[in-house]
Amino acid sequence: MYRTRVGTITLLVGLALALVSLATRLSALRVPGNHQGYSPTQPIAYSHRLHAGELGIDCRYCHVGAEQSPHAGIPPAGICMNCHTSVSAPRADVLAEAKKAEAANRKPELVVSPEIRKIYRALGLNDKRERDPKLERDPIAWMQVHKVPDFVRFDHRSHITASVACQDCHGPVETMERMRQHSTLLMGSCVDCHRKKKATLDCGACHQ
Amino acid sequence: MTSPTRRSFLKLSGFSMLAACSRGLDQKAIPLLVPHEERVPGRAVWYATGCSGCAAGCGVLARSRDGRPVKLEGNPAHPLSKGGLCATGQASVLSLYDSHRLHGPRSRGEAVDWKRVDAEVRAGIEAARGSGTAVRFLTGTIHSPTVLAAIRSFGARFGNFQHVQYDALSSSAQLDVYEKMLGTRALPRPRFDRADVIVGFDADFLATWISPVEYTRDYRAGRSLEEDGRHSYHVQFEARVSLTGANADRRFVRSPDGLRDAISELAVAVARRTGASIPLTATPKPEIKELAARLTAADRGTTLIVCGLDDADAQKTVAWINTQLGNYETTLETGRLSHQSQGSDTDLLALQREIRAGAVGLLFVAQCNPTYDRPGLLDLTKVNTVVSFAGHDDETASKAQFVCPDHHPLESWGDAEAVDGIVTVSQPLVAPLFQTRALVDSLNIWTGGTDGDASSAYDLMRATWKQALLPRAGAGAGSFDTFWAKAVHDGFAKLKPATVRVKPPAASTLRASAREPGTEGLALVLYAKTGMLDGRHANNPWLHELPDPVTKIVWDNYACLSATAASRLDVKEGDLVDAGGVKLPVHIQPGQHDDVVAIALGYGRKGTDRFAHVGPDWLEGDPTVEDGEFVGKNAAVLRGKARVAVKTANGRRVLACTQPYQSLTVPEELGGDKRPMVHETTLKEHRRPSASPEEAHGSHGGSVDLWPDDHRFKGHHWALTADLSACTGCSACVIGCQAENNVPVVGKDEVARAREMHWIRIDRYRDDGDVAHQPVMCQQCDNAPCETVCPVLATVQSSEGLNQQVYNRCVGTRYCANNCPYKVRRFNWFDYPHDDRLANASLNPDVVVRSRGIMEKCSFCVQRITEAKAEAKREGRPLRDGDISPACVQSCPADALVFGDRNDPDSAVSKAWTDRRQYRLLEELNTKPSVGYLSLVRNRDV
Repeated sequence: MYRTRVGTITLLVGLALALVSLATRLSALRVPGNHQGYSPTQPIAYSHRLHAGELGIDCRYCHVGAEQSPHAGIPPAGICMNCHTSVSAPRADVLAEAKKAEAANRKPELVVSPEIRKIYRALGLNDKRERDPKLERDPIAWMQVHKVPDFVRFDHRSHITASVACQDCHGPVETMERMRQHSTLLMGSCVDCHRKKKATLDCGACHQ
Repeated sequence: MTSPTRRSFLKLSGFSMLAACSRGLDQKAIPLLVPHEERVPGRAVWYATGCSGCAAGCGVLARSRDGRPVKLEGNPAHPLSKGGLCATGQASVLSLYDSHRLHGPRSRGEAVDWKRVDAEVRAGIEAARGSGTAVRFLTGTIHSPTVLAAIRSFGARFGNFQHVQYDALSSSAQLDVYEKMLGTRALPRPRFDRADVIVGFDADFLATWISPVEYTRDYRAGRSLEEDGRHSYHVQFEARVSLTGANADRRFVRSPDGLRDAISELAVAVARRTGASIPLTATPKPEIKELAARLTAADRGTTLIVCGLDDADAQKTVAWINTQLGNYETTLETGRLSHQSQGSDTDLLALQREIRAGAVGLLFVAQCNPTYDRPGLLDLTKVNTVVSFAGHDDETASKAQFVCPDHHPLESWGDAEAVDGIVTVSQPLVAPLFQTRALVDSLNIWTGGTDGDASSAYDLMRATWKQALLPRAGAGAGSFDTFWAKAVHDGFAKLKPATVRVKPPAASTLRASAREPGTEGLALVLYAKTGMLDGRHANNPWLHELPDPVTKIVWDNYACLSATAASRLDVKEGDLVDAGGVKLPVHIQPGQHDDVVAIALGYGRKGTDRFAHVGPDWLEGDPTVEDGEFVGKNAAVLRGKARVAVKTANGRRVLACTQPYQSLTVPEELGGDKRPMVHETTLKEHRRPSASPEEAHGSHGGSVDLWPDDHRFKGHHWALTADLSACTGCSACVIGCQAENNVPVVGKDEVARAREMHWIRIDRYRDDGDVAHQPVMCQQCDNAPCETVCPVLATVQSSEGLNQQVYNRCVGTRYCANNCPYKVRRFNWFDYPHDDRLANASLNPDVVVRSRGIMEKCSFCVQRITEAKAEAKREGRPLRDGDISPACVQSCPADALVFGDRNDPDSAVSKAWTDRRQYRLLEELNTKPSVGYLSLVRNRDV
């Protein structure tokens, strides 16, 4: 009798919980492991739309590993500095400062945008992009967006070699202000594509 | 009334949980700050370096993943090891990630910083310089030019300084003999590849003696099965059963005294045939006479006699026989002398006397552990100041006032001139994990060098190379920078060797070895065990769990007795005996001399109590070692005794053995026939031109298929062959596989329950005194019995002939393991985390770490197959034969394993597949394995 009552209560509590969560997150109802749409806030408001879309920088310019390694890799701050040694703020801000300086009849000051300053700080550089020993060098802790489970080995290299476009899995990254997981990255989507392209369907190709 | 069941509750609440789930855990991805020139995340980088597992000086290629060394493999270009690497060497990567290493210097047992210990040691040095007291530097064999130069220049500051070397596994007597013959303390290099007849007296050269990988390679090279190739005839005389004896064509069992007699008998028999006169008297036994006939009938310089006895008279007689047979310059190479063992027991005894007399004021101890391996010999309390360089708080270091821990070899620069003119270079793969410091650095700092400069070991090594090695490199070496860059890149440098002249021992000086006195008890044989060697690797759990190639026992040492000796004592396997005061369990060893008790050295090491809780902790589990006890017992306390009294002691200790059965012959009551796991033939039979495969190697079963077109394997069809003639059973592959595939350590109790996890095992069969070694991994059957019984399709056939195990699909029914006729599947009864969390850094990131409740097995290193395929595709070329080499194949010093594509008719494995020696295990079951075996050929009747 006691057992039944406890059982009933737990069941009811469970049901209630289920209903509440279903009601509030009905839109998010999905199978476990599917993180489609995941788009965490990043430590630097980096825009793929600007860099990959507007400026047309090739994905592989920053994600150097994609062609030669299983991991595409998240670019080291040093790669940002290839351009941001000379680009320290949006063009509009620099022009505005130039205009202001002209009006005040002074030399324009160096404008450093708050987001780009974060790169400099990570590298221990001051606003003049000189090494400041007082500043501690600290790598940028990006939030990982795309992640497959530990028991899956995805190899970027093979897919690039097979001319799979980055967008096929990552979606229209060149339009994303903030990075977002476009596909489900579930096994079904892998297998569908592999079937279509007559790629290997051996389990051991990904599960090692 | 229907009450809610547990199942329905879980179903409902589970569903609600799923709905509530978003991303479980936000994870960070932190890139480097500045891109590294050589490092692309996820891509392995290989560096050439040297192995320091023993003094053999093998070359290593170390695989670094994202800044962590994770795998060591033999360097194929290295002139000594030629791509082989033994179990000990492969396991040393785990020793790097050992949190029980000393984390920094110690002063009188207390952890201090380097500044303080430096000041205190400097004060000790100044005091010793002032008083003029004797300063001694005690080490194991050191053949590093840089370290030797550093010790020399360090010693030059003292009036009374001496560098004493000794080896725990001593070749001192042999060195004493050769010092007189060669004028320098070195050994001629045995060339097993050049010998037609090899005679071994107690020298376990395929497993532990001096340079086993080099010797295994050479030995194998001298055993060709081609029509006109050289196939040596190997005779071994020994008291216990060694791995080398197990591989010999003929093996004769002698007591230790009998071995000395056999050497005298052979000398007499050879003298009779060559007409020389020697002052030895012995009556050669028939087998010795026959051997002498064979030796003298062979061309001069094509025979080789090696002796592992630490007995100067025996060694001298062996040197004389070798001289008579003209073996110097050919099979005993003196052009490049071996420095792989240099220790002098005479020097060590002199040091003992000095210490006892209180004459030594300052003693440095490096790369040796005398308190452990020479117990009671050196009374360190009589030395004012003892400075140890040990990486662990070992037996000697804990008695030293100051401990200045040296780096792990993978953390530091180093060199080794193991063989004259071949200098191996070691380079660091990772910054030191702890506050350790290179030995040369310490010496440099104490003599007023640059203080705390991290790169000084590198600078010191370059300076030595520029000064001492470049002039020996010859004109072709170019500038120093070119010479250095090439040496670091290749992992070694080849220099001109010194020339020596051999002065053969005069026949008149030969003496019969002194008989060991006494007849009570049993003759004692102390031996080194594969992997554990002298005990310096006792902190490495992989080596403890490596089944001994001969006994197949793990996690213990034991007293080996023959069945007759055991029955005389009335003891059974596992019963405790007291051998000269050391209490050990008995292991009954067929093939051992009846008057011998054999005990492995290297056990009972301080610090091995850490393994008390290795393996799962559960209700019925037994600890690997009892709390506060060590793994095994230290047999070194019996050193110097020729005979020990062996008495029964109360109690038992279960020995965990992975293969308790010995024979392929089925017990009489079950039929008594011999099972055809190992096919054997003789060399004569094999080379007989008319011999059909069936005739020479037994019949092959036919095959009928229910589904002939089921698996077509249109692309690749991966296959492996194991040559039983080449396999020595050395077990390098077992550790190679363990490192590559994240195979866990499960502890003694689990092994005793037959739950060991090694993906490859070496079956050892002993029939009529003949031993066969057979590596068995997953046979990757085309008609796999495991696949048909898996209810969840977690094990399926790939399009390339692999039998795949999908861990994330497995639910752990274990049907597959029950249905596997080869018993190669391993079940995770528990989670097996590393006993040391730091060891997680040694995990291979390309292979999943399996969790509790799932089945696993050999995958043919599928991660290496996909990696090689991806690389080939990236480079736009087809896969080449040899691009893929699973860890076991790569690590084999004997090249016994061949892997490749059976669909490629030109591949090495295809050729082996059509060899007439080829057969497959349990072929009659029609499982169609992708692993083939080449039958064992014994050289019996040339």
